[in-house]
Amino acid sequence: MILPKAMEDLITEFMRFPGIGRKTAERYAMHVINNFSLETTETFGNAILNIKKQIHNCPNCGLITDRELCQVCEDDIRDESILMIVESSKDVFSIEKSGEFKGVYHVLNGVISPMDGKGPEDINLSTLWPRITDNRVKEVIIATSSTQEGETTALYINRVLKDVDILVSRIGYGVPVGLNLEYADDLTLSKAIENRKKL
Amino acid sequence: MKINNLELYNFRNYSKQEIVFGKGVNFLIGENGSGKTNLLEAIYFLSLAKSYKTNEVNLIKYNSRFSRIQSNVTVNDKLQKLKVIITEKGKKTLINDVEVKKLSNYIGAINVISFLPEDLTIIKGSPKDRRYFIDLMYGQIDRQYLKELTNYKILLKQRNELLKKLSDSNIQDFTLLDVITEQLADSADLIVNFRRNFISNANGYLKKMYRFLSDNNKSFVFEYKPSIEKDFESQFKSKYKNDLYLKTTSYGPHRDDYDFVIENVLAKDNASQGEQRIMVLALILAISEIVYEKYNERPIFLLDDVFSELDSVRQNKLIKYLTELEAQTIITTTGLENIEKTIITQSKVFKVQNNTIREESQNG
Ligand SMILES: Nc1ncnc2c1ncn2[C@@H]1O[C@H](COP(=O)(O)OP(=O)(O)OP(=O)(O)O)[C@@H](O)[C@H]1O
Ligand SMILES: [Mg+2]
Ligand SMILES: [Zn+2]
Repeated sequence: MILPKAMEDLITEFMRFPGIGRKTAERYAMHVINNFSLETTETFGNAILNIKKQIHNCPNCGLITDRELCQVCEDDIRDESILMIVESSKDVFSIEKSGEFKGVYHVLNGVISPMDGKGPEDINLSTLWPRITDNRVKEVIIATSSTQEGETTALYINRVLKDVDILVSRIGYGVPVGLNLEYADDLTLSKAIENRKKL
Repeated sequence: MKINNLELYNFRNYSKQEIVFGKGVNFLIGENGSGKTNLLEAIYFLSLAKSYKTNEVNLIKYNSRFSRIQSNVTVNDKLQKLKVIITEKGKKTLINDVEVKKLSNYIGAINVISFLPEDLTIIKGSPKDRRYFIDLMYGQIDRQYLKELTNYKILLKQRNELLKKLSDSNIQDFTLLDVITEQLADSADLIVNFRRNFISNANGYLKKMYRFLSDNNKSFVFEYKPSIEKDFESQFKSKYKNDLYLKTTSYGPHRDDYDFVIENVLAKDNASQGEQRIMVLALILAISEIVYEKYNERPIFLLDDVFSELDSVRQNKLIKYLTELEAQTIITTTGLENIEKTIITQSKVFKVQNNTIREESQNG
């Protein structure tokens, strides 16, 4: 039997999500048909629409936000002399949850990986350099993951900063090799930050 | 470690087959095309979750939907049930009926060392054949080596892609190239040390093995010829111009080679067929000693068509050696006419015929 076109369309859309196959997508579509009121459906649709309309990267640090500047950049109490460099917004959210870090962030939105066509110019580095040479920053903590790409990215940033008179350190200490910050628990995270190593 | 039994279901030419192995030497006798190599392939697959011959779907019996290999093995006096299921979509590996999703956690449940007729190419073939052989053997023994090798290969790929990009775009900023080159140099240093130790370790046993099997007193050495010996960083960095021109990393462990040397002469230039076979066998036996040194257990030998080109003296020597070693061995051959009855009293003999395997009555 051929499914109604509207249902088929929704199934196709659900299947865009990672880890969702045809069967699950069908189940979700059925769920919408049977259990969503028109109001819920509208709220659901608008939520998806709004996320794309309102969310963008903070022009200062690269973190995703729905304001002009992100919460961290807008917050006057944050210590602007310590700047932590991370791969993605997800990392910021996990570190913020642990509440251990009072400095500011710079989100690269990627890592350097020539084999994936990603060079230094393809990640958010161009806005990083002026932030660092601006006199307020005294220490840079590089918190990219301990994968090969994360290491390369960290070493690259460190190399570019070698003649700039600031402290550059690396966390990853305590975070097992290959593990992303995202999966580290609060204790591991605060340990990692505490035990950062000078590069 | 021992394979106690093996059950095959729709694997290559076998529909349903059970075979109970002996703890020592097991012979599989059958005509050409009867399915002897297929059986070794099943055991190899059970151990490494990959095939030495082909694409995995080819392992499924014609017109069947899936294959199953199942076996009870004893490792360190512990009994374990290993199972592999191969479908057109992929494979599943199970230990004691529990699925093991991460292949690296499955591989190594049992260790095999195999000798295939193709392995003879490591003597006269290309450096690539030799690197593949050593990496496969050593990678099975040392996880750290395997990990570093994977790391090296990724870094090499990164560097080569970067070289292409730099060379095509005429960018003169080499900061990233410096960084990746230094990472590659660190990894290369580790790899070369690993290989050097492994080869020197193997040479410790090799002379004895070769002397015993060849029945002569010629000296035999397996030499490691690294592409870069030391000072990796400066060596890599001194070749930027060349690498940018060729758009690839022209030196390093991915270009290493090994030489077989008999009485100070390169074996690739003049070893006979039988001599080549003895050298490869001696190397395999030496490597199995390294496994023993490390794990206190001998790997299972899978020897395919090992008697060809060996005269009866050497055939008997090999069997005698394996029997005394008490290492479980599975040997395929078209016949046992050259083997003395007295040295195979503890062996099991199987006949492979009409797509079935049947145990022969002892010494029958
Ligand atoms: N997927 C499959 N399904 C059914 N039969 C297969 C399959 N793959 C291979 N075969 C059969 O297996 C046979 C080859 O078996 P194998 O290579 O094990 O022979 P062998 O006993 O080692 O022979 P030789 O002494 O010549 O080395 C071929 O005849 C082939 O038709
Ligand atoms: Mg064969
Ligand atoms: Zn910001």
